[in-house]
Amino acid sequence: MSLHKLRLAAAVPVTISTFSSRLFLKPFPNTLTLGLFSRRLQPRKPLLVRAFSASAAVQDIPANQTTVSSARRPQWKASIDFKWIRDNKEAVEINIKNRNSNADLDAVLELYENMVNLQKEVERLREERNNVAKKMKGKLEPSERDRLVEEGKYLKESLVSLEEDLVKLKDELQHVAQSIPNMTHPDVPVGGEDSSAIRKEVGCPREFNFPIKDHLQLGKDLDLIDFDSAAEVSGSKFFYLKNEAVLLEMALLNWTLSQVMKKGYTPLTTPEIVRSSIVEKCGFQPRGDNTQVYSIDGTDQCLIGTAEIPLGGIHMDSILLESALPLKYIAFSHCFRTEAGAAGAATKGLYRVHQFSKAEMFVICRPEDSEFFHHELIQIEEDLFTSLGLHFKTLDMATADLGAPAYRKFDIEAWMPGFGRFGEISSASNCTDYQSRRLGIRYRPSEPLQTGPNKGKANLPATKFVHTLNATACAVPRMMVCLLENYQQEDGSVVIPEPLRPFMGGIELIKPKLK
Amino acid sequence: MSLHKLRLAAAVPVTISTFSSRLFLKPFPNTLTLGLFSRRLQPRKPLLVRAFSASAAVQDIPANQTTVSSVARRPQWKASIDFKWIRDNKEAVEINIKNRNSNADLDAVLELYENMVNLQKEVERLREERNNVAKKMKGKLEPSERDRLVEEGKYLKESLVSLEEDLVKLKDELQHVAQSIPNMTHPDVPVGGEDSSAIRKEVGCPREFNFPIKDHLQLGKDLDLIDFDSAAEVSGSKFFYLKNEAVLLEMALLNWTLSQVMKKGYTPLTTPEIVRSSIVEKCGFQPRGDNTQVYSIDGTDQCLIGTAEIPLGGIHMDSILLESALPLKYIAFSHCFRTEAGAAGAATKGLYRVHQFSKAEMFVICRPEDSEFFHHELIQIEEDLFTSLGLHFKTLDMATADLGAPAYRKFDIEAWMPGFGRFGEISSASNCTDYQSRRLGIRYRPSEPLQTGPNKGKANLPATKFVHTLNATACAVPRMMVCLLENYQQEDGSVVIPEPLRPFMGGIELIKPKLK
Repeated sequence: MSLHKLRLAAAVPVTISTFSSRLFLKPFPNTLTLGLFSRRLQPRKPLLVRAFSASAAVQDIPANQTTVSSARRPQWKASIDFKWIRDNKEAVEINIKNRNSNADLDAVLELYENMVNLQKEVERLREERNNVAKKMKGKLEPSERDRLVEEGKYLKESLVSLEEDLVKLKDELQHVAQSIPNMTHPDVPVGGEDSSAIRKEVGCPREFNFPIKDHLQLGKDLDLIDFDSAAEVSGSKFFYLKNEAVLLEMALLNWTLSQVMKKGYTPLTTPEIVRSSIVEKCGFQPRGDNTQVYSIDGTDQCLIGTAEIPLGGIHMDSILLESALPLKYIAFSHCFRTEAGAAGAATKGLYRVHQFSKAEMFVICRPEDSEFFHHELIQIEEDLFTSLGLHFKTLDMATADLGAPAYRKFDIEAWMPGFGRFGEISSASNCTDYQSRRLGIRYRPSEPLQTGPNKGKANLPATKFVHTLNATACAVPRMMVCLLENYQQEDGSVVIPEPLRPFMGGIELIKPKLK
Repeated sequence: MSLHKLRLAAAVPVTISTFSSRLFLKPFPNTLTLGLFSRRLQPRKPLLVRAFSASAAVQDIPANQTTVSSVARRPQWKASIDFKWIRDNKEAVEINIKNRNSNADLDAVLELYENMVNLQKEVERLREERNNVAKKMKGKLEPSERDRLVEEGKYLKESLVSLEEDLVKLKDELQHVAQSIPNMTHPDVPVGGEDSSAIRKEVGCPREFNFPIKDHLQLGKDLDLIDFDSAAEVSGSKFFYLKNEAVLLEMALLNWTLSQVMKKGYTPLTTPEIVRSSIVEKCGFQPRGDNTQVYSIDGTDQCLIGTAEIPLGGIHMDSILLESALPLKYIAFSHCFRTEAGAAGAATKGLYRVHQFSKAEMFVICRPEDSEFFHHELIQIEEDLFTSLGLHFKTLDMATADLGAPAYRKFDIEAWMPGFGRFGEISSASNCTDYQSRRLGIRYRPSEPLQTGPNKGKANLPATKFVHTLNATACAVPRMMVCLLENYQQEDGSVVIPEPLRPFMGGIELIKPKLK
């Protein structure tokens, strides 16, 4: 009953201050909770945020935005292991600091403590109420009965009110705790972007003995890319691909799919409109002024910024068989990003656009296998880009450059002659159980666990959270930047790398069109 | 100045009744306009609507929606509608509106146009009067005469400002009401409802199965090709994941279609899938309202495209093309997004009606005299493609009541879907003549000076003309999948891949049940 009431009430935003003042007005003399709630009057620090790309990572949300989101009831809950956090306070604290996160560990631990205490108090009251109820079953003096009726009524009211508080406390604990980033792999370099370690470097920058063009110029001269019409029809940073560029996109995707499928990955296409809760569960922020996410008007749906989101969602709220693991997917989708706040960043041409095609890999595996698959993913990426003859380096991204879900992230940056610098073309992250605890993806080990007493039903081993990993196989526009700029010839033509030719009807060269 | 004021005022909705009452309060005794505005007090009939697919065509918008979305809002753009032609061909237009089951209110359009012309004349007369007064004041005058002229000039100026405002509003309303007039219709199009559509061609015959058949949903599940269940959790109903060979089949369908259509001289394109809502309107679709097929982006004036026809129509918007550049023939690949509002009752099973799908769409921009030729080229390409895939289908010359407002003529292709036990639409080819180009502002300049009429252009340049636009489905992937899976299923549950697609699928000839 009281849960039902609360659910209705949740539609109306509840601010922290009204919440606390309600406690002060309670008749029940619960000094325990009163004192402990005091800290919660101060506005909370930002919640989880994750940008799609490290370079656009924003870890600070404006204060007003935070207020809005903390006032909202969480639509879902992450299975955060609060006990583990409490027992590893120092490690978590250091991790938050290393990752330059705004997570407020003290608040989390205090709220958790409050929650545990309040839970105990609720249990104590329930027992008392039961005792009173038991007593009333016997034969009683009328005055004694009246007293018990009064006490029972009082206990019931107190309980209803405390249970409501408990629900709200749990909600706030969720909000605050969701900002705690994943732990970090011990080998990840601590520090900012400059601290990222080079894992591997392939090739060297091509030397040109003629004045080079950037991909925008090549795209215009070869009639491959039309930004101008797209600006009229859609807005800036949209584009049409034309002529051989269309075939090149198709070839890149087809070739990538065929290569990655050889490694046992299942091909998928995905929905590009998803519920915003799925976006959140994957660790992205679908709302607020700085969001990278396009929302659909009048619904709770968003456009995906990466296929990682519908890939994460495909096994949501399910218990997989251990024998079904690993699940390895390669998905093709279009991706949509507002690129809010990216005005200052490298925004030229195809490098940063609102809509693009991407093939994304995704692995769901047992915890003990995720490091292995992280290396498989980066190896696949390196093999793909090596086959295309790109000059690139693989970076083990430093702690401050990791999004909240990543335990470790390898980025690949390729040489872009038109920019005269390296630019990110892919990213491979091991998210361990960060996403699976939000998406509710578990597996049931095949063998019963040897440790601990078997108290499950029919001796089934307890379920565990899977690990998830994601990695770019081919982000088409950035690959186009690399291919056009690196393979341009003095006569203005562009050579197609050999592996792609069979997927382009044998085209070897993009030649200037006769006008 | 007054224009500036009007532009600001346009942000605030202006209802018809306040508009009219302002006229009544005017001090200037303009009986002419007063009388003529009376009709406009009645609520307007719905404006242009076009569903993406004929079967979902809805020509009625609820009354409240009309009020909010159309009449009260200032048009953000104007169609170059040829009102004089409409007036001079009133009967033909009237019959056309009736045949097409349109709600367009021709009488209102003509009356508003008449009012507009008269008001324009009145404005011009007043301007002349004002100029006369100004001229008179340049000479030497008695003080009393000067005072009278100052007073008259002031009065004229005020009247003029007010009438000019009215003129702008009148033009806006004329636009709103006139935009609902559908394109004219090709004389060969059968008059009537869906049943009247004429069969143009029929290819093949239904395959006879000597085993119990499955529909594509069952095949998709058994062969692990389509996942609607996960998509329902992640996105909502009518979304889907494609898996395994289905992904390769989609790629193969698109690659093969592109390669075939490019051979006919069509330029391949990929397009933006988020566009300004004005482009959607200019192509003849309705991006707003309860019944809209269009997903809008929150907090912007952008929408998701329901078909690549929209960004294709927009690519040459507001431009004057060289005649020598025509025809422009495009084949575009895009994802398409549709709310499918109100489609609950329609055939909604499985892949037949979904919120998001891949499509290759052809689009032609040509001279008016060539559009009929290209309409036949487009339907021929479609027929050739589907024949190559071995489908059983029929081509229909769609009857008048089944045409969306932009189409002058529309050929639909319906293919046999054994799982449904009926024909289902798989493509559509429309000649929109100048309906879209008059909205999108796509003109061309003839190479040769026109022989008729006096050359009053600059440097003897021939006058520009509106191009004709045509659009046609080359491959709507999910409906093709319905056809291929259901028609090519085998008794053992496998599905044969049609030969033309095999080279585009790495040589796969058969989709076999997976070993579990």
